[in-house]
Amino acid sequence: MSGAVRAVRMGALALLGLSLACANPLWEQPPPQVREAPIVRPGSLTRSTLSNGLQVLVLEDRRLPLVSIGVAVRRGAGAELPDGAGLASFTAEMMNRGAGDRDARALAEFVDAMGADLDVSSGWDSTAVTLSGLSRDLDPLFEVLSDVVRRPRFETAEAERARGEQLAALEQAKDDPGTLVAWHMARALYPDHRYGLPSPGSPESVKKLTATSARDFHGRIFVPNDAILFATGDVSAETVMAQARRRFEDWKRAADPDAGPPPPNPAPAGGRRVVVVDRPDLGQAQIAIAHEGIARSFPDRIAAALMNSVVGGGGFSSRLMDVLRAEAGLTYGVWSGFSMRRQPGPFQVSTFTRVAETRRAVDMVLAELSRARQSPPSEEELTRARTLAVGSFSLSLETSDAVMGGLIDLEIYDLPDDSLDTYRARVRATTQAMTAEMARDLLHPERAAIVVVGPADQLVPLLEGLGPIEVVQP
Amino acid sequence: MRPSRRSRFPLALVFAVAALLAWGSGAAADAAEDPGESFEDPAASAITTRLPNGLVVLTLEDHATPVVSFQVWVQVGSKDETWYTGLAHLFEHMMFKGSKNIEPEQHARLIQARGGRLNAWTSQDFTVYFEDVTSETLPLVIALEAERIANLRVTQEMLTSEREVVLEERRMRTEDKPSGRAYETLLATAFVAHPYRRPVIGWRSDVEVVTVEACQDFFDTYYRPNNIIVSIVGDFDTDEALERIRETFGKLASRGPIPRNPTLEPAQKGERRADVHFDLRSPVLAAAWHAPPSGHPDAEALDVASAILSGGRSSRLYRNLVYEAQQALYAEGGYMEMQQAGLFLAYAGVRPDGGIEEVERLFFQQIALMREEPVSAAELEKAKRQLEVSLVSGLSKAHAVASRIALDVATFGRIRPLAERLAAIRAVSAEDVQRVARTYLVDSQRSVVRVVP
Repeated sequence: MSGAVRAVRMGALALLGLSLACANPLWEQPPPQVREAPIVRPGSLTRSTLSNGLQVLVLEDRRLPLVSIGVAVRRGAGAELPDGAGLASFTAEMMNRGAGDRDARALAEFVDAMGADLDVSSGWDSTAVTLSGLSRDLDPLFEVLSDVVRRPRFETAEAERARGEQLAALEQAKDDPGTLVAWHMARALYPDHRYGLPSPGSPESVKKLTATSARDFHGRIFVPNDAILFATGDVSAETVMAQARRRFEDWKRAADPDAGPPPPNPAPAGGRRVVVVDRPDLGQAQIAIAHEGIARSFPDRIAAALMNSVVGGGGFSSRLMDVLRAEAGLTYGVWSGFSMRRQPGPFQVSTFTRVAETRRAVDMVLAELSRARQSPPSEEELTRARTLAVGSFSLSLETSDAVMGGLIDLEIYDLPDDSLDTYRARVRATTQAMTAEMARDLLHPERAAIVVVGPADQLVPLLEGLGPIEVVQP
Repeated sequence: MRPSRRSRFPLALVFAVAALLAWGSGAAADAAEDPGESFEDPAASAITTRLPNGLVVLTLEDHATPVVSFQVWVQVGSKDETWYTGLAHLFEHMMFKGSKNIEPEQHARLIQARGGRLNAWTSQDFTVYFEDVTSETLPLVIALEAERIANLRVTQEMLTSEREVVLEERRMRTEDKPSGRAYETLLATAFVAHPYRRPVIGWRSDVEVVTVEACQDFFDTYYRPNNIIVSIVGDFDTDEALERIRETFGKLASRGPIPRNPTLEPAQKGERRADVHFDLRSPVLAAAWHAPPSGHPDAEALDVASAILSGGRSSRLYRNLVYEAQQALYAEGGYMEMQQAGLFLAYAGVRPDGGIEEVERLFFQQIALMREEPVSAAELEKAKRQLEVSLVSGLSKAHAVASRIALDVATFGRIRPLAERLAAIRAVSAEDVQRVARTYLVDSQRSVVRVVP
């Protein structure tokens, strides 16, 4: 952070006053050239690999007396089979419930006493243990990290508690219309694939989870040759490397984890269809419209993302927001996006409106998706989408923790190390022809699944004619 | 206005916000070991400038990243509404619907076209507009923010369309959401007279009929330079920014004293209860006790009590209700301060296989324990450490620092040094925690709301 109070420079002020006096309103002028700082400050990033294959990434940032350290592996819920759904979430929770010499209670006491945070969480494609706290606690933080990563206790009594909580949370989530719509959309799009169930699993699959299944899963996915150790903040690379060697060098190499289930069917069978999830008490319908999308490794993902930005991903600059919110006042928000996972996840549009306006909102979304194919992003729209992408990229990487998150994401998906540095140039190199191609290739309103959560007795008549309607309970 | 931001604090976020709002004043103590010793408080370099029209400008340069956060804190919130509720929040929307020289939605598009992030939020006390941008865009941000305050255009057409958007926001946040129902009912129960009893987003019937004239009058009354704090933190040049602000905001006309709500909440003389029926699987228990307003010397002791009850998996509420009894999915309690009154809020999500009576019994048992026994030395130290680390962590983003210094100036009339905050936290004793529990967390001062099937 900056140092002492700056002196006022009268000379500069006088010059500035002159330049202001002659200017047109700033909103009528073209955007200034954006100054692009390097994503990683020179000399601050260190990469190494231990003899057991464990990669180590250190990003030094001395501004605050804080550190974040962690270990990430390249497997998560996507590596489960459908009948074991929820195992990755369950394993992550179990790792937080006792490790090394400390049981669940002692571990919580030890972490909280440092004012630190311990988070173990799994996504579709990765699982990560993260600890953040004061840099002066680096040694005990590393002690906890190595215990949680290498020596979780997986006690039977804790498994009972964790399973009960996971089941209760699955039931509680049905109280949230936004969660319900996402879960039922997954089921509609991927009936025979792991992606068809929520990442925390289903009641049937979670009931079968045990301490042993968590121990086995942990043993398969937490292997040094498929893991990344990371540290960010007020710490030197030398100090981190010393800790890494001391606490992780004797971690034994093992077989690379298998990739999990095969990819979903690239274009799930069936034309447009409608699922109504009956919640008679709701005054607002939660709406999702989705079809198959693309994987994280999709070569033209930047062009796809820019196309999506114009259609519905670009917040207040998007066509969908313009039509549904600004012009029609139908909703508070509408959003579209690709869920890019190791295997192709969905392309989804989400919104909500008062029940009586549901059909109008659905029709508007479908019409905008069709229009995007016939009238793909104009040069002006694409220019806006490019600057939005470049600018929000810079803003999103304001903290070193965020930069490290970006670097780990590249490792998780085996993308080039320099992807963050080249991102802005790749965005600028994306042409109108490329985004037009993406709109034609990737938007398929004619075969979208439409899922609506709300009172079925009102919704079913409104949605007739869009496709076969199935009414289900939450 | 913006989907990504909350117009008020849903229960799940109350405590994150309480943590931000809860740094009250307190006597400086001996400088014990603290994480703040080893680095300089960035806010120590902030400059406060007051323009002749009363506008306060806070500037703090930090060139570590190319980001600058620009925030306009209008000191008006739902407590200042006199006829239609939800007016303050409605402005959070109308301010994006065009002014004399800017078309509807153009403000947002111009900022987004430069890659900026913008939004606004409203609370009981403040309406805050912000842009987080790269430094090249700051001049445009200043011009646009000044333009809409100088020349806002409230038309019937825009109001008609935007009130529907607000009503959708209300359905989403409150009417169709168990925690939203609980929070709205809890405030309406805990306060009988003070306008803090109203939902920030407004009652549905008011939003449905509010008029252009009422909007214009509200705007003319409160959107005045002598009621605004501008806070700028990050990668920019102070002299240049101040010059631009003088050229724009500096020309706004001030007015005399800003009218303020005169109503005080009368003392509560016994527990209040309300049930809300809703189709749900996981009932919600919410409770509130009256607590002091922002800037009160008891703030740190209440924060420490909050951390002991809710800070991490070793906290009393998690340990007892979630982990041991397996009755709740979550259970937390914390101090929320507002300018004219505070609340100590508590909430729990009852497991679908649990019982709300049991959750309530266990919850209030833990509150009673805070009154009856002093907390242990280890718990006290742990809570203080958690508060200190979260305070330091809050300095990592320009946006958070800009919010902190603006809130400081609104609350204390000055930027409160980090060292002073840390010292006040370190000075809290076990007796202090027990004293504030006995003073505020008493049964007769309690309001309890249950959202049940």
